Amino acid sequence: MNKRARKKAIRENLTSYAFLIPWLLGFFVLTLYPMIYSFFLSFTEFNILQPPKWIGLRNYFVMFIGNEQFPRDERFLNSLLVTFKYVFISVPLKLIFALGVAMLMNRDLKLIPFYRTLYYIPTLLGGSVAIAALWRRLFAGDGVLNTILRSAFGLNPPAWISNPKYALYTLILLSVWQFGSPMIIFLAGLKQIPREYYEASAVDGAGKMRQFFSITLPCLSPIIFFNLVMQMINAFQSFTQAYIVSGGQGGPLDSTMFYSLYLYIKGFAFSEMGYASAMAWVLLIIIAVLTALAFKLSGSLVSYGSGE
Amino acid sequence: MKKTGLALLIILMSAVMVFGQQQITIRWAYWGSESRVKRSQEAINLFEAANPGIKVNPEISGGTGDHFNKVDTQLAGGSGPDIIQMGGNINDYVKRGVLLPLEKYSGTILNTAVIDPSAIESGTIDGHLYGVSTGVTMPALVYNKSLIQRAGAPLPKVSMTYEEFRNYLVTLKSKLPAGVYPMQDIGALSSNSTPFGYWTRYNGTPLYDAATKTTAVKPADAQKYLELFKDYRNNGLVPPADIAAGYAETNADTSMVIAGKAAIGFIWTNQLAGYQAATTDELCLMEFPGAAATKALWQAPSQFYTVNKNSKYPEAAVKFINFLVNSPEAAKVLGNDRGASASATARAAGAADINDRKVLEYLDVAGPHSSKETDHVPNDTEFNSTLFLIYQKVAFGQISTAAGGQQIYDLIVRLIKK
Amino acid sequence: MKKHTRNLINSIITNAFIILLGVCMLYPVVWLIAASFKESNTIFSDPGLWPKAFTLQNYVKGWQGIGIVGFGTFFKNSFIISGLCVIANVIFCSLTAYAFARLKFAGRNFWFAVMMVTMMLPTHVTTIPRYIMFRKFGWIDTFLPLVIPKFFATDAFFIFLLVQFIRSLPKELDESALIDGCGKFGIYTQIVMPLTKPALITTVIFTFLWTWDDFFNQLLYLNSPSKYTVPMGLRLFLDSSGISSWGPMFAMSVLSLLPCFILFFSLQKYFVQGIATTGIKG
Repeated sequence: MNKRARKKAIRENLTSYAFLIPWLLGFFVLTLYPMIYSFFLSFTEFNILQPPKWIGLRNYFVMFIGNEQFPRDERFLNSLLVTFKYVFISVPLKLIFALGVAMLMNRDLKLIPFYRTLYYIPTLLGGSVAIAALWRRLFAGDGVLNTILRSAFGLNPPAWISNPKYALYTLILLSVWQFGSPMIIFLAGLKQIPREYYEASAVDGAGKMRQFFSITLPCLSPIIFFNLVMQMINAFQSFTQAYIVSGGQGGPLDSTMFYSLYLYIKGFAFSEMGYASAMAWVLLIIIAVLTALAFKLSGSLVSYGSGE
Repeated sequence: MKKTGLALLIILMSAVMVFGQQQITIRWAYWGSESRVKRSQEAINLFEAANPGIKVNPEISGGTGDHFNKVDTQLAGGSGPDIIQMGGNINDYVKRGVLLPLEKYSGTILNTAVIDPSAIESGTIDGHLYGVSTGVTMPALVYNKSLIQRAGAPLPKVSMTYEEFRNYLVTLKSKLPAGVYPMQDIGALSSNSTPFGYWTRYNGTPLYDAATKTTAVKPADAQKYLELFKDYRNNGLVPPADIAAGYAETNADTSMVIAGKAAIGFIWTNQLAGYQAATTDELCLMEFPGAAATKALWQAPSQFYTVNKNSKYPEAAVKFINFLVNSPEAAKVLGNDRGASASATARAAGAADINDRKVLEYLDVAGPHSSKETDHVPNDTEFNSTLFLIYQKVAFGQISTAAGGQQIYDLIVRLIKK
Repeated sequence: MKKHTRNLINSIITNAFIILLGVCMLYPVVWLIAASFKESNTIFSDPGLWPKAFTLQNYVKGWQGIGIVGFGTFFKNSFIISGLCVIANVIFCSLTAYAFARLKFAGRNFWFAVMMVTMMLPTHVTTIPRYIMFRKFGWIDTFLPLVIPKFFATDAFFIFLLVQFIRSLPKELDESALIDGCGKFGIYTQIVMPLTKPALITTVIFTFLWTWDDFFNQLLYLNSPSKYTVPMGLRLFLDSSGISSWGPMFAMSVLSLLPCFILFFSLQKYFVQGIATTGIKG
């Protein structure tokens, strides 16, 4: 009996790993080596073209502590701050907006296919180079927004995109504007909620509000969790939009110098790939801790069908 | 699953077939847009026709950023292209030992005798010829002639002193409509440090001397420079910091002059055609102030052709470079796209459109107001980017001009040591 | 009757709201399209939305590409790359996700954590070691470095996405299938794949879009202009030192949105088929 159970367990393990073979191969052959190599580089000085030079913990030291000889990198700390601000403002806004629109798009209106596509178009633009021109046009000192504010309200608004106080918010807006990906995922999630749940609760006399909190949110919780985690991971690594809109400078005054943008500038433009690698691993640890935290918390908040 | 395996096999096999070629292929990496690509391809066709057995494969990127990311990665991966187009950062690549010295080909397959000595000199670093100049360009101020005329203001003189220049800006300001500024804040630009470099030459304190590895700039000099533009800013001769920062000035599309919001800006002469193509207003060139008395302007190679040290076919590569810079046929198809040619044989073939003529007229006036180019501060890209940041801190009023001057000095010293 | 009118008013308000919000959001896109019909030298100096002079020149010129290779070639290359990636991701990510979501095996949580971690390292620092590796495989200047990794489920985003969707399916389904004599692979193809259709469609759309847009890797691995892709072609219209062709760039940007637009429009109807239509009793 015991033996049979063990045999069964082994067989089940083997089948499971058979399913995982492609991924495991990919991980060991394609992903693991570059990761380990970059970890090694984080302890070196590496200008890309000459062999890396071992310098121990100096890269990390310069980031957080610093001394006379190797002064602390203030731009690093600034980029970390900018990124945290960006993540904690843009992610919730984007998710709420995406969920709201997804519910709006989950109706049986005739024109829904058309509307959905319409609302997805901003996301289609993605990291297109055209974005830079568009955003400048909207938020420059003499941009569309200010023209409206001036003529309609007689205000004297600042140049949003080139003012260090506001530039980051135009990028947050850009991120919220491109809410299409989480919206689609929400929409797919909403479609998976069995309609019978709503019908049954309607019979019980539940209103729209109560249905939202007692059915939609719990049934959608795995998807909300997914979107939250992924948007957070993506936002921490946010690069393309800032790169394009600021012309690769993170300006004005480093106010849109995202972590990944600074990492990229350090690695490729300033040829300090060792330092960039160290930055990458610091970011990995930050994201990993926050993700693990999210998973811990999700245990009590996320309900998975009837499984687990 | 079977089908996928088959598809994989087919993909792999076709990949193998691509690699099994016979001819010599040299790879030429450069950045540029469609018009340069077309011209370059015509030159390649001519070369291939004259040299059967050598094929040239262009590897084109849209801009310098993309170009150097790609080239760096390729070099690190041991598969760098044979010919690499370089800019002001050539020193950094020489320092890292990735370029091939070319003087051993001089006189045989590379005819250096017909190339201007100054152009040869600019590509010579530590006594070795590493880069062959693609052509000559000069820093200049560009002004919107139509805009100034519409405002009823007089046109600027090509050569002015700083005092005349300031007076002219004041006149312009009184005539221009609200929201249009006499000059963009060119004090420092995100893409390059040329205006600052010019001023330090004008001030008699060049940025860097490679032979002694020193800078002549003192904190007080840099402060003086920051104050010059602070004065312009306070008097509305250049826009306030947040307006100025709205224009990255990396290209015609991010130029305040092209947007019609400033009358005067900064460009390199080889950019004139590109800027002119982006507006219906007429653009003209003038000198930086004070050049006539100090000869502080300079001619610079717009780019270099360099050869990868690990190139498998260095001779074919040099042969092709020689063709590009010296042959009249190539000059005819390449035009002034990579700068006005520095080769006598190529120049003999030259033809000029209206923008080329304007550039040549400018070169005639500014040429005598020039002297040898100052060496580039090491780590060129980092210098530009950080200088811009410090300048902006001053412009936005976050730090004083004195603190800014000190930071600029510290930056230069740090980069020289790096 | 009264209820009917109220419904009508409700519907009008909803539609109006959707349209109004949509118009605000789409202004930049409309500007892009309008700009693609403007003369190149007026795009940035002409503040108006509507072109003063309407021209198709940008499209004609843009389609010619960079002179030596036409834009049609860029489109073809982008289609091949994106198409292969879509197929690979749908098959292999869902296979992996099924294992993580439904199968019990030793080390599952460990491998799942490992998979999550692979998403957290900024890709710029793995660029060089990856390049060196692919060069050793002899894959430079081919589509292989862009496509083959997807056949090994390296896109952890989609694995995680599908895991979440599969986990939210009622588990009784596989149990009943197991009783009906389906193996694990049978459950995967017969039950899980059809039921996660919305998520799989999402995978198709995102994979296509993201691969279509993935400029950085394409720049690194493709050398010959005849192998260039759409985003690479777009960047070639912009030159930091020379002459930028904004008109053709905008025109080709609009064209490059079209395949994504069509794909999205034709696939979005699958979101309508919710789980309810597959005949499961709740």
